[in-house]
Amino acid sequence: MIHNIFESIDKKVGVERASAHCDVPCGIYDPIVAQISALTVVRMIDLIEELAGKGDGHDTAYHNSMGRYVAVKEEHAENAKAEIRIIWGDYIKAQHKENYPQLDGIVHKIMQLGSKSRQTTDREAAVELVEIINEFAEIFWATKGINTKRANAPYAPALELVYPNL
Amino acid sequence: MIKVLKVTGDSLAPDYQEGDFVVALKFPFLFNSIAPGDIVVFRNADYGTMIKQVESIDPVSGDLHVIGTHPYSVDSRQFGALARVDLVGKVIWHIKNPR
Repeated sequence: MIHNIFESIDKKVGVERASAHCDVPCGIYDPIVAQISALTVVRMIDLIEELAGKGDGHDTAYHNSMGRYVAVKEEHAENAKAEIRIIWGDYIKAQHKENYPQLDGIVHKIMQLGSKSRQTTDREAAVELVEIINEFAEIFWATKGINTKRANAPYAPALELVYPNL
Repeated sequence: MIKVLKVTGDSLAPDYQEGDFVVALKFPFLFNSIAPGDIVVFRNADYGTMIKQVESIDPVSGDLHVIGTHPYSVDSRQFGALARVDLVGKVIWHIKNPR
């Protein structure tokens, strides 16, 4: 209520800013990197399945492509976990956890699904990883007072992602 | 002198966060000296108008050593102590951005 009044005043007259300045990387947090990494994991699983359905699997081209898909899947599953850990460790504060008590469970689930996505080609687990990171993203943007929207990614596998509604 | 300011940046999180408003008053300094723990607004030649917490006060010069609560905070550890002349005011009212 009072904040809204001040917000209105700010819009009309432009209140001066006082910077609680941080050095990089402070303030530069965005779950989109983790979201895209998780999406990449699903894409790699799709490519792995597609390749596995072709040929007899003994030629060098097959092994080369399969090796690359698996390596990228590994890398991005780990990257998704790392990005969430950074936001979790550096940005999320006790106040956020009080307001969003489900955060602990969500982060733990991301770690588990991220590991499963590295270990296996379980597409269902990878899709679940995308969705649980979406839930994390919704909370992340909510802590900044920014609304979110859901839209299908404009590239394969075109799963639904959460984006800030800026 | 009274001043309304809007907070940007996260160096005083979680207490003061991006989008919060503060009301800073300079007059109390005449009657009530600043104490460690107070939140102050000041001018800095490189970073402009800033808001930080007073960590300590030089007993001789009265200069203020200000810090943020975030490990990456840019504060007196980078730009040194703050002269009183650069003070804009002491925060007397904090209006939090409801999240």
